[in-house]
Amino acid sequence: MTSFFDVLLGGVFHASVLFLVAAGLQLVFGVQRIVNLACGSFYALGAFFGITAVNWSIGHGAPQWAFLPVLVLAGIVLAAIGPFIELLLRSVYKRDEAFQLLLTFALVLMFQDVLRFFWGANPQQLGNLSMSYGKVAIGAVSFPTYNVLVMAASLAIAVGLGVFLSRTRYGRILRATAENREMAEALGADVRWIYASVFTLGTMLGTVGGALVVPTAAASLDMPVELVVEAFAVVVIGGLGSMRGALVGALIVGLTRAAAISFYAELEVLAIYVIVIAVLVARPAGLFGKPVE
Amino acid sequence: MSTAPGRPEPGTQGRASLLAFVAVAIVVLAAFPHVAAPYYVTLVLPAFAYAIALLGFNLLFGTTGLLSFGHALFVAIGAYGAAVLSSRLGVKSLELILVASSVAAAVAALPVALLSVRYVRIFFGILTLAFGMLFHSFLFKFYDLTGGDTGIRVLRPTILGMDFKELDKTAFLVGPFYYACLLLAVVLGVVMWRIVHSPFGLHLAAIRENPIKAEYLGVRVRRFRLLAFLISAFYCAIGGVILAINTGQADPELAYWTHSGELVFMTVLGGFASFFGPVVGAFTFIFLKSELMGLTQYWRFCLGATLAVIVIVFPRGLMGLAKDAWRTVAKR
Amino acid sequence: MTIQRRKILQGLGSAGAAVAAQGLLGVPAFAQSKPLRIGIIAPKAGVVGTIGECGLRGTQFAVDRINAGGGIAGRKVELVVEEETNPKDSIERLRKLVLQDKVDCVQGIVSSGVSLAMGAVAEEMKALLIFWDGTTQDGVRETMQNPRYVFRSTDNECEAVMASLLAIKHWKGKFATYAGINPDYSYGRNNFAAFEALLKKFGVEAKKVAEQWPKVGTLDLTSHVAALKAAKPDLIFSSLLFADLPIFMKTAHGAGLMDGKTRFAFPGAGFQHTLLKKEFTPEGMIFGHNTLYFALDNASPLQRYFVQDYEAKYKDYPHWEADRAYFAMHIYRAGVERAQKAKNAWPGQEDVINAMEGLKVESLGGPAEMRKDHIAEQTFYQGITTHKNRYDFPTLTDVTRMYSDQLQKPTGMDFWKWIETANIKL
Repeated sequence: MTSFFDVLLGGVFHASVLFLVAAGLQLVFGVQRIVNLACGSFYALGAFFGITAVNWSIGHGAPQWAFLPVLVLAGIVLAAIGPFIELLLRSVYKRDEAFQLLLTFALVLMFQDVLRFFWGANPQQLGNLSMSYGKVAIGAVSFPTYNVLVMAASLAIAVGLGVFLSRTRYGRILRATAENREMAEALGADVRWIYASVFTLGTMLGTVGGALVVPTAAASLDMPVELVVEAFAVVVIGGLGSMRGALVGALIVGLTRAAAISFYAELEVLAIYVIVIAVLVARPAGLFGKPVE
Repeated sequence: MSTAPGRPEPGTQGRASLLAFVAVAIVVLAAFPHVAAPYYVTLVLPAFAYAIALLGFNLLFGTTGLLSFGHALFVAIGAYGAAVLSSRLGVKSLELILVASSVAAAVAALPVALLSVRYVRIFFGILTLAFGMLFHSFLFKFYDLTGGDTGIRVLRPTILGMDFKELDKTAFLVGPFYYACLLLAVVLGVVMWRIVHSPFGLHLAAIRENPIKAEYLGVRVRRFRLLAFLISAFYCAIGGVILAINTGQADPELAYWTHSGELVFMTVLGGFASFFGPVVGAFTFIFLKSELMGLTQYWRFCLGATLAVIVIVFPRGLMGLAKDAWRTVAKR
Repeated sequence: MTIQRRKILQGLGSAGAAVAAQGLLGVPAFAQSKPLRIGIIAPKAGVVGTIGECGLRGTQFAVDRINAGGGIAGRKVELVVEEETNPKDSIERLRKLVLQDKVDCVQGIVSSGVSLAMGAVAEEMKALLIFWDGTTQDGVRETMQNPRYVFRSTDNECEAVMASLLAIKHWKGKFATYAGINPDYSYGRNNFAAFEALLKKFGVEAKKVAEQWPKVGTLDLTSHVAALKAAKPDLIFSSLLFADLPIFMKTAHGAGLMDGKTRFAFPGAGFQHTLLKKEFTPEGMIFGHNTLYFALDNASPLQRYFVQDYEAKYKDYPHWEADRAYFAMHIYRAGVERAQKAKNAWPGQEDVINAMEGLKVESLGGPAEMRKDHIAEQTFYQGITTHKNRYDFPTLTDVTRMYSDQLQKPTGMDFWKWIETANIKL
């Protein structure tokens, strides 16, 4: 029975991280109709910068247990690049979507070398910091507390985003702009500002995700291109533009992967694609998506 | 594509000068091995490969308006086809390898296309990316079948039955194989020109401009997109065969999504709205990348910046620039 | 820095199919003034980027000392460095180095996929190529019988064989079940297969209870560790060697797999040794450092100096790729010098190749040589982890040192046949 919970928790943990990246993707797509191929690059940036931030803070006397808030802060601070990137993307808003996709691909290429320039070719790690919070044990099942905190944080963000989008005024304006940009503009919404802030928020989700995950993993140069594939699988399964889809899609991907690893390790990677194709055949727009055309 | 200028109809004089340019280019390419440094001649081979692949790709992108981020999948099928046929099945004939691999790619394209052409725009791009990566995972995973990460050897083919045994590989590549590829590129280019300017091609353009209207006018949108997809897969596979013979190995990285991204990059660099844009883009990109890799270790950044500049400032690519320049000159 | 930048060749130059610098039977004085150009192809990014970096440092160290001593047979060495990426692009770089830059020798390559393709191309181009790593084996099948121009490093399986032997020696009879977690590509597959074949050979009665094949470079191993834990193996054999190795260590430690009941063998742990911190890397595990163990007790003065120099320059400790790169450079140097002495004139390529066969040199990690069949023989080091040191990561105690002639198959033999029939000592 313990193994079942171990598997379950492992899958949920992976899903939590995926959700953060996918949520960023969905938010930006939902409002701006941009699919950001560089979502993985933001994630990697968050991971590398998070390590630098934690090392710096500990080197300047911060207590070790404070590394979690430092990471979150690092991720949030990094979101400052969001407006600049959005400014770049602004030049292609009026153009065909293909150009937007291409511009984000250009960003992927550029980011790879930016990361290498600042952090070198070596993968970076945060040692065993993630174990600083000890383990959570329920009966025979034990799981690092840090991982539980990450899952909780992810859930909190999911709930927060949900509340934000449905209850706050800004959230409603966002959804209105997503539905019908011209109408929203006509009704007085400052669409430019909305686009900039949404993109920044989406970036932040990616950078925070990367920063949060790095203690249990590592920051490496091939993260950006690898992550895109999984993130896209989540988005296709969940439905493009849907936050709920991001959550459910992430859970499906995370749990499928965990199940495959436990029961038939060879299927690990292919299982995800099988699910993607199955969803597409059954529900072309994804589980929660609206048909796009 | 709302910003695509559509197919500009050159007048007879425009067409004549275009033909003249093409003729000159072919002559230059034919003479190249005799005047240029061997290394640069070996670079032209992947340029040929990509030129052919992109002619097909652009049928789907520039003409029909569907951006695929997974066409490296078909390039890889071409490469692995050449590998399996030459080193595992003992088939050495270049002609047979080309036909078999490209047909295999078209067949593989069928289910992918059937699933993907239901969608357009961004979703189409994401889906094709996923399919490309699915194939990459398959190639990597099924170690015994596909050689896994090391891939499969590609043995030297015979051209029209001749094996040129007396030539070493480099001489073979810059000699008979070079001319075979040039011929292939010209022939396939002519075929694609006919396709694009045929009623079928015009229907595709109509679908790109306004699919709803096209459907209303009786054009079977899905069917035509499907056909365009299959043709593009066919061409990409031929490009893959040439690449694989040049390298001597078919490896899974050929199917990775960033390779698909390079295909799009090259097309847009040359100019997707022009027939010759992809060809120009292929040649330019190959030489640009080679020089950049030698100049700086941050060549990825330079390439990315180049793409960004193209997308933002010169969306119609090099051919667009050339046409503008031509028009300015013609006015004077 | 002796690394040369390339100049752009404008337009069409006159081909002339220029005769390569090798084969220049010139007057020694003339030859001595021209530098010897050596091309290096090493990865700079991706999963293997860090490995290429360490190798390059090894090359730079070798070249600096060679040049300080007057060069190779009087000619200074000039490096032309290119990046190893995927097979297609890497072969283009090889062609550039040989056809355009006219280098006298090419060294490098880490990835097996690239090396397989490149070996064939180098043979066809008659270009002298010395691999740091990689292979010309398609799995275990040799694809390049009797290479003439390509020189290979040791077999991929050496560290697997050694780790397996050590595991059997130390723990035979002490484990009833075993599991494997290996990267899902040829290296991982070969390693684990070698381990299993050796278990069979030495009649070890153990049952396999789990087999994990994480994708290369996976950064989340929680589920894999959970699956391993559930299977309760007594011994885990893992050839993980990229960034996934420290992640595995941390995750396994966090999941309680390192509490002493399970034994571990890591043939390739040396690549990441400085990242495997003491907090989550316990003692008592078998670690492989391949051909360079930086903290060897009775290390040669050369190695001691190198490690000190490396630490001072890069604030890090080297792993074996630096040794592979050093060996490649020195076997070439020794070959050229030997051929030059024999000929009393600058040697041609064929002379150098003949001279390199059967040649012995002192590499960073210990004695090494190049077999007549163009496969290297080197000294391998593996041992048991200990925390009794001044670093924040474990080092080795009870170090076993084996020369690769005990670890790799002789010329032309099938790997599995060799394991079955050879008299491999524990």
